[in-house]
Amino acid sequence: MRRKQWILHKDHLLPFLRKLRKSRSLVAPVRNSYGDTMYTEMNDLDNESIELAEQPQNSLKSFFFPQREKLCHYSVDEAVGDSAQAYRFYPSLPESRAVVYFGVRSCDMFAVMYCDTIFLGGRERDVYYDARRRNALFITLACNHPFENCFCNAARTGPYLEMGYDLQFTDLGDRYFVEVDKARGREVVQQWPQFFVPAGDDDRQAHYQAALESRGLFRRQVHVDLAVQLLDQGEEPQALLAELSARCQDCGGCAFICPTCTCFNIVDQPLSDDRGERVRTWDACTFDGFTRMAGNHNSVQIISQRVTKRFYHKLRDDVLRHGRSSCVGCGRCVGMCFGGVDIVRFIDGLCAADDKRSEKREDGHD
Amino acid sequence: MTERSIRTIDSQVMTGRAGRLRLTSKNPYVPRSAIIREITRETDSVSTFVMSFIDELENNSFSYQPGQFMMVSVAHQGEAPISISSSSLQSDFFSLTIRNSGRLTKAMHSLKPGNVIGLRGPYGTAFPLEEMQGRNLLIVGGGIGMAPLRSVVHTCCRQPDHFGKVSVLYGSQNPGELCFQSEMQSWKEAGVDCRLIVDAADNGWQHQVGLVTDLLTDEFRPQKKKDLALVCGPGIMIRFVIQRLEELGYSPENIFTTLERHMKCGFGLCGHCHCREKLVCVDGPVFRRSQLGVLEDL
Amino acid sequence: MAGLATTFGSGAMTNSINELSSAQVILLSGSNTTEAHPQVARRIYDAVDQGARLIVIDPRQTAMASLAHIHLQLRPGTDIPLLNGMMRCILDENLVDELFVEMRTENYIPLRDLLLTIDLNEVTATTGVSIKDIARAARIYARAQRSVICYCLGVTQHICGTANVQSYAGLAMLTGHVEREFTGVDPLRGQNNVQGACDMGGLPAVLPGYQMVADPVVRDKFDRAWGVCLSDKPGQTLLDMTHGAGSPGDKLRAMYIMGENPMLSDPVLDQVEATLDSLDFLVVADLFLTETAARADVVFPAASFAEKNGTVTNSERRVQYMNKAIDPPGAARDDGWIIMELSRRMGYAMEYESSAEIMEEICLLTPIYGGMYHDRLIDNWGLQWPCSDRAHPGTPFLHKFSFARGRGRFQPASHVPPAEPVDSAFPFLLITGRSYHHYHTGTMSRCCPTLNREHDKPFLDMHPDDATRLNIPDGSRVQVTSRRGSCKFFLRYCQSLAPGDLYCDFHFHEAPVNVLTLSARDPEAHCPEFKLCAVRVEEVI
Repeated sequence: MRRKQWILHKDHLLPFLRKLRKSRSLVAPVRNSYGDTMYTEMNDLDNESIELAEQPQNSLKSFFFPQREKLCHYSVDEAVGDSAQAYRFYPSLPESRAVVYFGVRSCDMFAVMYCDTIFLGGRERDVYYDARRRNALFITLACNHPFENCFCNAARTGPYLEMGYDLQFTDLGDRYFVEVDKARGREVVQQWPQFFVPAGDDDRQAHYQAALESRGLFRRQVHVDLAVQLLDQGEEPQALLAELSARCQDCGGCAFICPTCTCFNIVDQPLSDDRGERVRTWDACTFDGFTRMAGNHNSVQIISQRVTKRFYHKLRDDVLRHGRSSCVGCGRCVGMCFGGVDIVRFIDGLCAADDKRSEKREDGHD
Repeated sequence: MTERSIRTIDSQVMTGRAGRLRLTSKNPYVPRSAIIREITRETDSVSTFVMSFIDELENNSFSYQPGQFMMVSVAHQGEAPISISSSSLQSDFFSLTIRNSGRLTKAMHSLKPGNVIGLRGPYGTAFPLEEMQGRNLLIVGGGIGMAPLRSVVHTCCRQPDHFGKVSVLYGSQNPGELCFQSEMQSWKEAGVDCRLIVDAADNGWQHQVGLVTDLLTDEFRPQKKKDLALVCGPGIMIRFVIQRLEELGYSPENIFTTLERHMKCGFGLCGHCHCREKLVCVDGPVFRRSQLGVLEDL
Repeated sequence: MAGLATTFGSGAMTNSINELSSAQVILLSGSNTTEAHPQVARRIYDAVDQGARLIVIDPRQTAMASLAHIHLQLRPGTDIPLLNGMMRCILDENLVDELFVEMRTENYIPLRDLLLTIDLNEVTATTGVSIKDIARAARIYARAQRSVICYCLGVTQHICGTANVQSYAGLAMLTGHVEREFTGVDPLRGQNNVQGACDMGGLPAVLPGYQMVADPVVRDKFDRAWGVCLSDKPGQTLLDMTHGAGSPGDKLRAMYIMGENPMLSDPVLDQVEATLDSLDFLVVADLFLTETAARADVVFPAASFAEKNGTVTNSERRVQYMNKAIDPPGAARDDGWIIMELSRRMGYAMEYESSAEIMEEICLLTPIYGGMYHDRLIDNWGLQWPCSDRAHPGTPFLHKFSFARGRGRFQPASHVPPAEPVDSAFPFLLITGRSYHHYHTGTMSRCCPTLNREHDKPFLDMHPDDATRLNIPDGSRVQVTSRRGSCKFFLRYCQSLAPGDLYCDFHFHEAPVNVLTLSARDPEAHCPEFKLCAVRVEEVI
């Protein structure tokens, strides 16, 4: 029988993780000495503290798509005698390690799935992403208590996932309710059956209750669907975008912190006259140079449209291209933005303008 | 909706995984070395580089179509997308026609025959050779924009029976900036109707003066409903030419143009060439007019 | 520095950065905050979103000026008459906080007498700002309960920089907008540790903690701690050193320069070059081979901030501990190690085992840092000085109950015209500043491909009217010439400048702006008039 729901007692979490770590590296939300919680690779299970009550400040993006990554190195050898000039490239692929990601929030798990479509589902597979992603195991944590800026309910990526994870844990006080989705999750349960007891009806009731309650705890109401719909209908809120763009300070922070912003730059970094590295780094569409071509021609009017490209990309273009918005509602950009012109402000502004219009229309009918 | 959308994503991942079996060893980011065989100076700032891969196997398996582009690496300068300006029907070698306009292209212009560059590709969509069979073709180019169109012209010259009447309208700012002048005689001999125009003439200029749209007289109305027009050049020129072509009676389905964007990967990942929901590197660079919305973006 | 020290008794930001978001009125002067201090700008945005009024004093239409409720676009270098105008309005409209002036300040009468002689029409003529705007700004600033002034190098890097600051301090004291949370006078420091460098005695006349070299009690304390006999003479200022001032007898013969690139950052570069070349011995410690390091006899490869442990002190006097994140590359070592090793080999062994031990010595000798032990700084956001002992919680805002010097002192000032006014030969006033994407002389930021892509060449901003008059197209190569030299830029049309003004930044070695600037400087702070010089512009054909 393939049972899909189990119970893991909280006392057994650490012993369970210790077993997992025997054949894998462990990445989990860890509170560092500054009090910041970050997804971190754990070296010492007993002296580092896994923090499951805070939202990790980073997402999992950089584990699969590092901020700076060497793609290859190259050598340039001048022609000598009979031998012609040579200009060769030597790729440097990362090793494909087995890693378990524990305590992953629903939005972050969803973001990984989204990045998969970008890096693995396109015309060419990104072999660098693939090497890091191939042997990953995800144990997610359903969100019973959404954080201050969260709106995954509106982005439809949480607070509970229905699929996509290997194992999903739900905190039921003294125990975790464990759901299995992917084969790799099933294997884990089979490998260490001593930790898992079958979930009973009480557990299922408690799980259902927790899921229900968490939905009522969101502090923000962000109408992502309405924004997507308005943009799809051709809405172009020029005034709003100009207002927000004027306050964008062009730091790229929103794109860097975003779990689904995957645009990158590739540059050569010479190490000497005859060799160098080809490196890719994160890039952001709010940067002036992102679209600037040789001869200073730029297809984007950057001052008045700095943030336009990003918001349209997230809420309109990705819907057309991939079937859904790529904003996962994690709210990280809200805390990041210097100018206070994050995607939530854009969605709010867009929807408020629509509200006003419908009110007017109704008044007109009266 | 949650479940459905996750499923969509999931199934895409699955197809991706199946694909991996085919492509395990392929690293799309690694360029192959190519050697410059010959350099033709077209204008003060434009040269055509004839080249081939160093590895003979690469040369044998390399195939491309008019309109596609290569990612070109020059030592220490990174990469840039460059249109192929030759036709694969014509020779085992292929050509890139490059204007000296930035850091990489400047370095490219300092190279000599025998020097080596890196190449990835070909990438992107091509002009629709199948659809072009038997049709009259109106080819409108501006400045360096003639490079990808030259690939079409060479194909036509090589297979005159495959196409209807082929007309080339080519304009630039002044006579010194017209590329491919030395080979135009051979185009004409192959039956291509060639018209030139410049904004500002000098002594000895024997052709028309004005904008390339001035050449688009009633003479070039589509003879048949299925006649095709191919346009390439600076954004603003494309805009006006397309406008004029539509006035002349070309349907948006039958006009093709290419877009130029900053690019880093060439295969749809880096995000630099996003143009609305399209990625110029994989959905383009050749687009049907009907695929493009407002032309202000060009 | 000197301006606030003479009026309030302390040269640092009186408030904390976070207090800005709760201010009712923010008066921002000479600061391109969004580009130079984005974290401060964020608090200003928050404040404005919560209903605060923003007044910006700047010759350029910066992003903050566009957001401002009132932008006083003054002629460069006319802060003093503008402030005297505002103070006159405050006097006329009876908005002086008389109780505060009476209880907490001194020397008010000379200021009042000066203000009574001010003719507002003349102020308008000098500054180019209308009487109406001056009065509105004065009223808004004076009437609010919680008004705060922020200023930056646009105020201080002038020949009258100290007097400028004293005037801003005067405005704050006149209306009682100091000594409380959310109100005060806040100089925004350029870099993450400029405040720390000053605190540690990186100024000619003071030892760490602003303790005067001239004070024998102070000297005695340091003599005993270090086992040496310190000189009672103040050292030289930066410009004295790099411009080879002084009589041949006490001219410098050797220099040890750490993390500074005077060959790009100091005014009149020809003179700097001559001075450095005339030295017997030059040592430079830097991350990269800068223009200055290239001239050195010995170059020490130094570690970056991420490659060492220690503290930095920011604008709001906050001492923060920074953890070493990565090892220094190759043979690079942190500056502390280099100095100790050098000292040991020169016969004076410094045997500190860690930066924590050095900090213990700082606590011992520097009263304002008295309680800043490393263990108190780790695992938190640090402490703000003054912090006298282990039990002291730090000081978020200064001058509570009384000014550090006792009473705040009004220092009336009159207009000091720029050292180099425009004339027919040099008709433009060149303003220098910084751009968002680069840091200082670009030693570090220009090595980063993405930053360099964003801003890869030196621009000269000019109002389109001027450019049209001179018939120079946008993007052209132009040569800018002052009485001291010339360098080349790419022209950029820019609506945010007033006609007659030009703007450029100094990050580019291809266009070393400081061959143009002049070495005239403030008589007290010795800060050069970087911000302004007279130039002419020609297109390079």
